[in-house]
Amino acid sequence: MDNLRLLIVDDVEDNRLVLKAICRKLENFEIKEATNGLEAVEITQNWHPDIVLMDIMMPVMDGYEASKVIKKLHPEIVVIAVTAVIDPNMQKNMSEIGVDIYITKPIDKELILFKIQSIGSSMLLKQGEGKLLSKKDALNPFNSDIRSFKIIFDITDTESMMDFGMYLFDQYNARDVVACSKLDPIIELFYMLMRQGTRNAQRLSIIIEESYDELYITIKFENAIILEQKIVEIVEKFKSDFIIKENVLCARLKRHFEEKKSDESKIENKTEIKSETKPEIKTVVSKQEAVKSKDAKEVRAVASEEKVLLRQSFTKKTSSVDYVSDLGGDILDEILDLASFDEEWREKLSTFEEEPTDENLIDFADRVLGAYSHTISTLFEFTALAYALSSLGVFLKDRASLVVEDSAKTKTLIMLLENLGYDLVSWRKHIFELQDTQDIHYLDSSFFSSCMQIEGIMSNKEIDVDDDNEMEFF
Amino acid sequence: MAKKVIIVDDSKAVVAMAELALVEMIGSGMIEFKAYLNPLVLLEALQNESENFDLLISDINMPELNGLELIKAIKSNSKYKTKPVIILTTESSNEIKTAGKEIGVTGWMVKPFSDEKFVKSIKMVLGV
Repeated sequence: MDNLRLLIVDDVEDNRLVLKAICRKLENFEIKEATNGLEAVEITQNWHPDIVLMDIMMPVMDGYEASKVIKKLHPEIVVIAVTAVIDPNMQKNMSEIGVDIYITKPIDKELILFKIQSIGSSMLLKQGEGKLLSKKDALNPFNSDIRSFKIIFDITDTESMMDFGMYLFDQYNARDVVACSKLDPIIELFYMLMRQGTRNAQRLSIIIEESYDELYITIKFENAIILEQKIVEIVEKFKSDFIIKENVLCARLKRHFEEKKSDESKIENKTEIKSETKPEIKTVVSKQEAVKSKDAKEVRAVASEEKVLLRQSFTKKTSSVDYVSDLGGDILDEILDLASFDEEWREKLSTFEEEPTDENLIDFADRVLGAYSHTISTLFEFTALAYALSSLGVFLKDRASLVVEDSAKTKTLIMLLENLGYDLVSWRKHIFELQDTQDIHYLDSSFFSSCMQIEGIMSNKEIDVDDDNEMEFF
Repeated sequence: MAKKVIIVDDSKAVVAMAELALVEMIGSGMIEFKAYLNPLVLLEALQNESENFDLLISDINMPELNGLELIKAIKSNSKYKTKPVIILTTESSNEIKTAGKEIGVTGWMVKPFSDEKFVKSIKMVLGV
């Protein structure tokens, strides 16, 4: 591992000596000095430091000018301003050029070490060198570089299960929605584990740890568990990423954005995912076909998580007035801001109508469905809506080229998406603006069902949720 | 004569998909299709007799009025007491189905629906 490089810039020798003496205690750092801004710029060009401690008041070239040049040439370098006073004007100017971290004089030794070491550690972690930083035993054996922060979910009931589901979903959403072929079965798996725990009245906690490119999920049951057969089967599929021991299940999930390192690797990764998932999808379909061989139409398998969202019914009705009055102002503003998406919804859709290319459809899925679902996903009560929008978006992106090949299908899709957009406008009005409905969940499952049905229409597949979608006569 | 089919659902997407499924029946003049997004508007139109139907397809969860309440109100008028009413909903619990049965609902269909089965059921109810 290469050491990180620290450049100390100060015109006063005593100051440099003090800073240097302190910084020698840093682990994994090499240190150089410069006596003014110009020299700092020159050294930066040849030696390329990771962090610069920059005094502000200096002759020849002052700290502000030097920082400006350095940040312009090498935006990745972290410049820390060293100053006696932080004046708001200076702070504003420094912030504009990308300098937001300060060390104030008189110098607090411990604070300086803490700041520089934290920045350095985060840099090393991003370079994949994090393992060298931690000396503690890991809770989840897949990692040894986990820092001391964790997110803990206490799962006691359906609501807390939803909280965890929302967290997973948020992780998925925050990464620009790169389709993850394994997300759905994983959500299903966690759902079943939680359900098994709550059904047997077992206390169960889920501990999340995050590294730069992976998530570590540890599920701890109160007592040892015997896993249901279905759970064992799914775990088998992810063998190398799951460890089960008595009452603890450890999982490792890749975060998505590493797939975006470069265009080339993105394409490679995508092809890999495709070739990986294809056989999976085939098995699902062929199983369904075997059961319902008399039906010519293919059937889209509905995940149990989806079934829950689709068939969830709320025995206790909440009125929009009560709901909105409990909602934080910020969230309400965000929802009301969704009004701006109505226009974008129409615009992107008409762009797609004028020019029915897969790019335009993908653009609609990303910018409109993606953004909408992201905002809605912040509302705990409307997980189903967010999930519906997001999965429709993923579906459309996956199938974009197939959809646009068929002009009749494209036309139908545009018409249906227009209507779907209308439903959301009306949902927002009833719940957040007019607040005139006695049941805030009036649309949820119906909307979800519409999204699924649109998928079905677009892929010529029947959506069979409960094996009983025949009309029941009384 | 074309039979009049009315759908009441707050969701335009659902209405659009129902119309899409029924497009042949509408095109051939077998049925006349009309949609209401607001159950209160439909109720008023039926009460002042500016509207009529041979088959009503109703959602349950609507912002202005619950579908079962709507049907109860419609069926309290003797003119519509025997007219067929189909529920098209995502709700499928036995409790709510029983409640539907008690107020005289003809059939129950859960969303998402299959076009074929939807058309088949409607033809069966209308006897066409």
